[in-house]
Amino acid sequence: MISLTEVTKNFSSRMAVEKLSLVVPRGEIFGLLGHNGAGKSTAIGMMLGQVWPTSGEVKVCGHDVTTQRAKALHAVGAIFEAPAFYDYMSGWRNLQILSHYTARTSNERIKEVIDWVGLTGREHSKVKTYSHGMRARLALAQALLPQPELLILDEPGSGLDPEGIAEMRQTIARLHRELGLTILLSSHLLSEVEQLCTRIAVLNKGRKVFEGRITEVRAARSRVALKTPDFAAAAIILGEHGLIAGTEGGEFISLKAGITTADVARTLVSAGIAVEGIWQRQQTLEDFYLDLVKAPPATAAKN
Amino acid sequence: MFYLHLRNELWKLFGKKRTYIGFGAFILAQVAMSFAFQSTGWKRSFERLLSGNGYVAEEFVSALTVAVVMLIPQVSLLMPLYTTLVGGDLVAKEYEEGTLRMMLSRPVSRFRLLLVKWIAGVLFSMLLVLVLGVIALGVARLLFPWKSMFVFNPGVTFSVLSAHDGFIRYLLAHGFMAINAGVMFSLAFMFSCFNIKPAAATVVALTVLLASLVLEAIPAFDVYENWLVTHHFKTWLHAFQSPVPWSQIAQSEIILLGVAMSCFLVGCTAFQVRDIKS
Repeated sequence: MISLTEVTKNFSSRMAVEKLSLVVPRGEIFGLLGHNGAGKSTAIGMMLGQVWPTSGEVKVCGHDVTTQRAKALHAVGAIFEAPAFYDYMSGWRNLQILSHYTARTSNERIKEVIDWVGLTGREHSKVKTYSHGMRARLALAQALLPQPELLILDEPGSGLDPEGIAEMRQTIARLHRELGLTILLSSHLLSEVEQLCTRIAVLNKGRKVFEGRITEVRAARSRVALKTPDFAAAAIILGEHGLIAGTEGGEFISLKAGITTADVARTLVSAGIAVEGIWQRQQTLEDFYLDLVKAPPATAAKN
Repeated sequence: MFYLHLRNELWKLFGKKRTYIGFGAFILAQVAMSFAFQSTGWKRSFERLLSGNGYVAEEFVSALTVAVVMLIPQVSLLMPLYTTLVGGDLVAKEYEEGTLRMMLSRPVSRFRLLLVKWIAGVLFSMLLVLVLGVIALGVARLLFPWKSMFVFNPGVTFSVLSAHDGFIRYLLAHGFMAINAGVMFSLAFMFSCFNIKPAAATVVALTVLLASLVLEAIPAFDVYENWLVTHHFKTWLHAFQSPVPWSQIAQSEIILLGVAMSCFLVGCTAFQVRDIKS
């Protein structure tokens, strides 16, 4: 649905996105992660034809966004962080205005979408009277009106309370399940991404440092927590026996391929080092993300 | 679809309270000026001017005469202010508030978006002039009789007309005023398409107007008067001359229409190459 090939964007002398290549397959919920200024919003801007790439090619729904914008965006809905509306107008009028920029939209369709997002009864109130959660629902409604196949969500949970975030998560899952939409989700909320996305890409300082399935993230690096009276001595022995790839924080060891926790325990006990505890710790997305963005660029890029 | 897009822009424009500031200001200014004309030395000096030129003053101090007297300062100052306020807001304000980004996530071209905005703004400018003319004549008629018309503007026009002929010229003059308003709107609209704040777009457009006025007042610039928009803005006063200087009017109006179109195209070009970011 989305394909970026070697896309670079410079703002004067600042490089916002550097040689970014990305593929969002149809039917996926694709997470785009990165710190503030990592280039996520710039990448999304280029996908929507709002930001012109300095070089490279951006295709959405099979069409080049820079040359065939109307075709590319015909089946696309988008929601931005802090959605903006004409506050002095009703929600209904806002939906009419925004939807007409895609295609003529019937009142029945507007009513249907308002019901779907749960705004029924407040659609004729002025938007300035809406709560943050209602604005988020209105944003979702305007994105759904053109019956999109692809939904681009740029920080949709921003500013929402925990209840609102949970509701947004359920809605995204429902959109994927019931309407079969392909969803690109840019978010800071790693737990949301972990729960929702099937694939992710991580951007750091404008460069992609990882792209893959969320299951690969969990299996990417197996970390084992080792509790022993002398961690340093244990690490030396395990290293001499070629069982570990490294240690972390005086608490974790990374096992080499094919090595089990039983092998580690047996080796340490044989060497006279007590093992008070040893257990596999599955890496969370947060651990994985933090490792990626802290790593020097050359190391991170290998992922 | 074009009609729907234009209707959307008109909804947005006329849904905002600040759009009506200009209309309110015109009513207040015209009521105040009518009473000032009636009750201060303004009327007496006007009568002296008429009688000094051999005319019967009572015959020409009429609703049409007073309406034009009130229009001269408003067309020079208030009308540019309110058209540039709207023009400066039209793109820059939407960019600032983030609604432009929402619209540009839709498969609509930037040119189409600007075209409907510009047309909506031009329609607003025309409506502003229409309301200005109706209120000026309406308020003046409440206080003054419907009689012959006298129009005087130093160096531009000195005309006496029958009530019927004066009214026709009054309507004609408003057509030219609408073009002036459209030009001022287009100037602010052009600046609004650049990456600047809405207030800055209005201020820069008004600065262009003031600079043109100042240069026009300097005798050394007389030879360049055709390059100054304010020189062509006086065309509406030429509509009261007898005979009407049609070729001079046509020349000025073509130049003004050219300026308005150029402003629109420059604005479009600037907007087309811009990155629309959050």
